[in-house]
Amino acid sequence: MLRSLKGLLCRPLKLDRGFALHTAAKDRVSSLLTQDVQTAPERPRAVFYTNENDPANHAEQHEGRLYSIPLDELKTVFPHGLPYRFQQQIKTFNEACVMVRKPALELFTYLRNTNFAHPAVRYVIYGERGTGKTMTLCHLVHYCARQGWLVLHVPDAHLWVKNCRELLQSSYNKERLDQPLQASSWLKNFKTSNERFLKEIKTQKQYMWGRRDRTEAGRPLAEVVEQGLARVRNASDAVGVVLKELKQQSRLGPFRLLVAVDGVNALWGRTTLKKEDKSPVAPEELTLVHNLRKMLMNDWSGGAAVTTLSQTGALFKPSSAYLPQELLGKEGFDALDPFVPIPVPNYSPREFESCYQYYLQRKWLQHEKAHTEAGKEELRFLSGSNPRQLDRLAGPL
Amino acid sequence: RLICTTTARQRKNVGASGPEKYTEAFIKNQIEEFNLGKRHLANMMGEDPETFTQEDIDKAIAYLFPSGLFDKKARPMMKHPTEIFPEQRKIQWGEDGRPFHFLFYTGKQSYYSLMHETYEKLLNAQKYQDQLIAQDLPPQKKKRNLAGSRWLTKIELEEMLLEKLSDNDYSRFILLLEKLMTLPCGDTEEKYVQKFSKEVPVQLQKVVIEPLKYDERGVAFSTGEGGRKTARATAVVYDNGTGKITVNGIDILHYFPVLQDREQLLFPFQFLDRVGKHDMVCTVSGGGRSAQAGAIRLASAKALRSFVTEKEVEFMRQAGLLTPDPRVKERKKPGQEGARRKFTWKKR
Repeated sequence: MLRSLKGLLCRPLKLDRGFALHTAAKDRVSSLLTQDVQTAPERPRAVFYTNENDPANHAEQHEGRLYSIPLDELKTVFPHGLPYRFQQQIKTFNEACVMVRKPALELFTYLRNTNFAHPAVRYVIYGERGTGKTMTLCHLVHYCARQGWLVLHVPDAHLWVKNCRELLQSSYNKERLDQPLQASSWLKNFKTSNERFLKEIKTQKQYMWGRRDRTEAGRPLAEVVEQGLARVRNASDAVGVVLKELKQQSRLGPFRLLVAVDGVNALWGRTTLKKEDKSPVAPEELTLVHNLRKMLMNDWSGGAAVTTLSQTGALFKPSSAYLPQELLGKEGFDALDPFVPIPVPNYSPREFESCYQYYLQRKWLQHEKAHTEAGKEELRFLSGSNPRQLDRLAGPL
Repeated sequence: RLICTTTARQRKNVGASGPEKYTEAFIKNQIEEFNLGKRHLANMMGEDPETFTQEDIDKAIAYLFPSGLFDKKARPMMKHPTEIFPEQRKIQWGEDGRPFHFLFYTGKQSYYSLMHETYEKLLNAQKYQDQLIAQDLPPQKKKRNLAGSRWLTKIELEEMLLEKLSDNDYSRFILLLEKLMTLPCGDTEEKYVQKFSKEVPVQLQKVVIEPLKYDERGVAFSTGEGGRKTARATAVVYDNGTGKITVNGIDILHYFPVLQDREQLLFPFQFLDRVGKHDMVCTVSGGGRSAQAGAIRLASAKALRSFVTEKEVEFMRQAGLLTPDPRVKERKKPGQEGARRKFTWKKR
């Protein structure tokens, strides 16, 4: 029974991040029953699940409930981008359930109502640590992927500004520095998620890679990506080319572009990288960062840019900072201004119930006291309804 | 000058047989000096010498000679000589060497004389009882409140008699007193026995549980204070809450990132099964992370007493929620690296 319904179950997107996925919380009675009657007759659906696997149909009534993403879809839509703990949870539970939460629903309404002729609107998801910003972003990515958008998902911009072993001087621009490893891994993931688009979109210019290789105008973008993957030295430039092409073509092209960047405050902060003469590297000097910044400007249309602020990987920022002003700094704030801020709060009581019931149902909480009402209250108190804290607490239980 | 010395006690709390002999003249001198000194002190402090009490003396001395010593007895003090010089037995024989008391040669003259007196009272009481029976009157039963009083301890008795006692002697005396108590005593016996009993103060100081106060919204609240090590905390617990707790204006998740501290805060509420029912606003200062958590725990437990029945207060007390933790940092000693740790021992 369980297996057959696994496909219908919502993937629990990192619940510790309180993924604002359209997972219905414990909505007793009404709406769930109606859905139950329609779709899943075999298994007695728990109250907090919803069968709506298409994020497009998620609405107010699904708020607080969990929906699952089929595992094979997971591979194509999220080759990278899910938080690490959530990936572990997927492996453990053998399903990926994400919770539907209000910020995501809000974003969906905005996206549905955007006028694609206007310049792209930028949304900044912010909130305290562990409240579910990354999961909200992933939910959004899933939604857009289902809708057929081209998703440019940068899982964590912080990875590009720290812990980089190899820095090459860019051949394109002498001042800048390349990061071949990060660029190539990103290109690989980008390829898996957007294969069909890459075949359709054609380049509009000719690009020279070094002295010998070049890509003619009118070739599919897949070739550019191949080039980047084959010649690792040119990977960062390939990324730059891809971004530029997409930006230009999204206005006219048949596709919509979603730029999803997690940890966008990394682009305007400081880096921990040093040049060979031990002088610090400013973020502008990195090709990847430079190109991404251009992408996030609002001078293109035909899509939207959704970003997340993240304190967790942020460098040189106090741990209590979570507001856009603090994390982005003056430079970043001015660059991203105007944007639509979307706060992500801790779990509401309903969402907490839903998450708790999910853990119970999945037999994740093994402690005998965890099944009692008192245990639930204790969990609620100790975690402060913070999704990440709840996940960490529930781990050893 | 007499050849034999005063048979002063060797015990610390009674007579010091030191090099000084507290003769009567000596003590009288001391008393005069004390009174003069008291008047001088009063003049120095600008007070009236006639109405200068012992308390004023203590305050004045503490002001003039401030001392940081922990032991109160080591600090400078000025008290009446009778309090400072312990009582000593006067010389018990005359110039011809003949003792004054008839029981001197028993060795414990005061003890045996006391026993004699007590037994005499006992016999009197029995005679009185016989008289009552002879007159066909019912024997008076006097209920004495035994609960609020206790007999003198052995040490106190020794102090009173200025003599050493053995345990056997003491128990015999107490038995005699109790036997005397069982008989219907007259008034004189009553007074006599009262000399050997002491009031026991009420054991548990009845801690007053404050009633609930109501703030302007009409929500009931109560305050509590607590401390642990160097941390001091005040907590205000509100009724009809959702379980939100704020410390120094910051949410507990941010103020106490460690789970252990939050568990400490949870404990009083969980014990009373009121986890999500109260809101709390606390202020805390001093100490470290754990100390602050413990201080808030104590403060919240004290505040919760007002919301809860007396039985539950008793349960809380037995669970240790209402007891302030007396452990503080132990002093570092000289010659050691820390409070207990010694320096590395080197063989040579």
